Amino acid sequence: MSFWEEFIAYLMRGWIMTVELLALSIPLSILLGLALATARVYGNKVVSLIAAGFVALLRGLPLVVTLLIVFFALPRIGLYFDPFWSAVIAFIMCSGAYQSEYVRAAIQSIDVGQSLAAQALGMTKLQEVVHIILPQAFRRALPGISNEIIYLILYSSLAYIIGVQEIFATAKHFNSLQFRPIEIFSTTALIYAFMATVATFFFKKLEERLKIPGLEIV
Amino acid sequence: MVSVVDYVPYILEGVLWTLGLVGGGLLIGFIVGLPSAIAQVYGHRFLKIMVEVYAWFFRSVPLLVLLFLFYWGIFPALGFKLDPLTCSILVLGIRSGAYQSQIFRGAITSVGEGQYIAARTLGMSKMRAIYHIVLPQALRISIPGWANEYAIILKDSAICFTLGVMEILTRTRYVVMATLEPLIPYFIAGALFIVLTYSGTKILNTIYDKLKIPGLIWRM
Amino acid sequence: MEDVESMVEDEIVLKVEDLYKSYNNVIVLKGISFEVRRGETKIICGPSGSGKSTLLRCINLLTKPDKGMIWLEGEELTTRSININKVRQKIGFVFQEFNLFNHLTALRNVSIGLEVVKKMKREEAYKRAMEVLRKVGLEEHAHKYPAELSGGQKQRVAIARALAMNPSIILYDEPTSALDPQLIGEVLEVMKALAREKVTSIVVTHEMGFAQSVGDEMLFMYDGKIIERGPPEEVIHNPKTEIAKKFFERIQELYGREKR
Ligand SMILES: Nc1ncnc2c1ncn2[C@@H]1O[C@H](COP(=O)(O)OP(=O)(O)O)[C@@H](O)[C@H]1O
Ligand SMILES: [Mg+2]
Repeated sequence: MSFWEEFIAYLMRGWIMTVELLALSIPLSILLGLALATARVYGNKVVSLIAAGFVALLRGLPLVVTLLIVFFALPRIGLYFDPFWSAVIAFIMCSGAYQSEYVRAAIQSIDVGQSLAAQALGMTKLQEVVHIILPQAFRRALPGISNEIIYLILYSSLAYIIGVQEIFATAKHFNSLQFRPIEIFSTTALIYAFMATVATFFFKKLEERLKIPGLEIV
Repeated sequence: MVSVVDYVPYILEGVLWTLGLVGGGLLIGFIVGLPSAIAQVYGHRFLKIMVEVYAWFFRSVPLLVLLFLFYWGIFPALGFKLDPLTCSILVLGIRSGAYQSQIFRGAITSVGEGQYIAARTLGMSKMRAIYHIVLPQALRISIPGWANEYAIILKDSAICFTLGVMEILTRTRYVVMATLEPLIPYFIAGALFIVLTYSGTKILNTIYDKLKIPGLIWRM
Repeated sequence: MEDVESMVEDEIVLKVEDLYKSYNNVIVLKGISFEVRRGETKIICGPSGSGKSTLLRCINLLTKPDKGMIWLEGEELTTRSININKVRQKIGFVFQEFNLFNHLTALRNVSIGLEVVKKMKREEAYKRAMEVLRKVGLEEHAHKYPAELSGGQKQRVAIARALAMNPSIILYDEPTSALDPQLIGEVLEVMKALAREKVTSIVVTHEMGFAQSVGDEMLFMYDGKIIERGPPEEVIHNPKTEIAKKFFERIQELYGREKR
């Protein structure tokens, strides 16, 4: 097999793992972001404080450190996750925390009249949040959320540090066999750049599709 | 048996290295990013496209990949044998330049064309108008974006442990290997990063409040 | 037959008794009492800050009164055990600022309460919503978003949204005050039509033409109290108090000769 054939086979394997990591982390991080923001705005004092503390903590920690803590330190207190799930958990927590800031700002930007009208119809707080507030807040937060997800795509490479065989890990391994770093790492770089660019494009389209007159970002 | 007291100073010494990475990266990022932003707003088409491609590439590739590409590939190929610290600072800096160019471009645009044109009608040259009128305003309103960039580059600097730069995380990992005790060292490292993130951001925002001019704000 | 009807007409839908409300030690409602009968249109007016909005908000429990009692169709709302959301389903509310849900089309604005609160099937809710939109003359705008509608159209959607829930009473809080003068008429027309259909309502308004043409009784509020009450013509043209007299003179100046 030629260098490139073998390399592409390696990359393919890693790329599938990267996609698996992201396919789990992205939707769950969005849900966590919505949940944290909701908890901060609508939770009672305790819930809101816990959510705020969680967000501040994860926004203050480098993702690598979070990753290492989840994988190496948490087992010491009885929480064991394999490398793949450790990575997914760290990614969800980190990205969810960052995303929640956008969602929270978006929720707070929504006019109180929306809430009053929902209450006047007899909606419960939960119905109001789910049907009236979050659909509007999500749209306003979408540009910020998209940005965080693009970061997440790039930072998913850090999973290699705890031994997940994602695309960077396979590239690095292949380099240790062949030692042609320029070809190997620049190809890897371009694959990430491609993924990020496709994601950017996708989110632009999504924003356009979800766009509603009068609900522009403020 | 190694006790906490023995290794804490060792980890703390890493703060200097971390701050070196952050300071060096931010400085190089500034030196690269500001001209890039000016080129993007006022430059010729060709220059604009060059900057566009540069910013796109460095913002679309993970830092981890950039570190390995430059450390093992590009710098050696260009004939530079750089130590991990120098290489890391350069990569952090060039990458930060891509992000900073976005910050400065946003700031320059929000200062508004009116200011630039007003300066030109006073008879200032293009360079003078940018230097005396646009930049003093743009730099002020960039500070919050810059504070954010500080927090990002600080956290990203931890990734340089993969090249063995003796910053906080590298030292923490050595301690974990030596003591076989991950919990406390990682929590110390985490605490250090949190303190550095929030204190640095606070300082920069205080500076911003001091330099703030009424009515001058970020408009996108 | 006639007896039954008049009995139904006489039925008290809403009863408010000795209502008090204060905000940070400032008493805003100082013992408000009145009744609304089935099919009645009650007009409330009075200077800004006199507590009209607060009164309406107390009735649908958007704010909690400090003292006093409210009954809706014989059920006391001011007890602690009351299910607030159940009550609000029976009270339509039309806001001065419309408060249409920005992310929903006119049709969905009207149907969302039916779907989410009344648990109606979507198709059924749409059908009902469409009927009500037709009633307020907005059938062809059903698929527009609030930002694509004029103020008058928005307020008609808001009325439809309240009406669709089939409430026992509709509360209007200055429904035309946020509208450009040329858009007020279309909203008043809809409200008049509903009043003639004997939809029970309380309307806070300064539209004296409207008050006189469909109002059954007018309450004039000042400083948290009802200081005049009676048939609208009476209150407007022969007020007993100097305050009300001044107020109606000013209204006359402001809204002037425009005949509505
Ligand atoms: N949520 C609130 N908090 C504090 N004060 C309020 C609140 N709502 C109304 N008020 C005060 O209560 C008084 C009556 O207000 P309102 O009921 O809105 O009067 P109106 O609708 O007749 O203009 C005003 O002085 C107003 O400032
Ligand atoms: Mg009012």
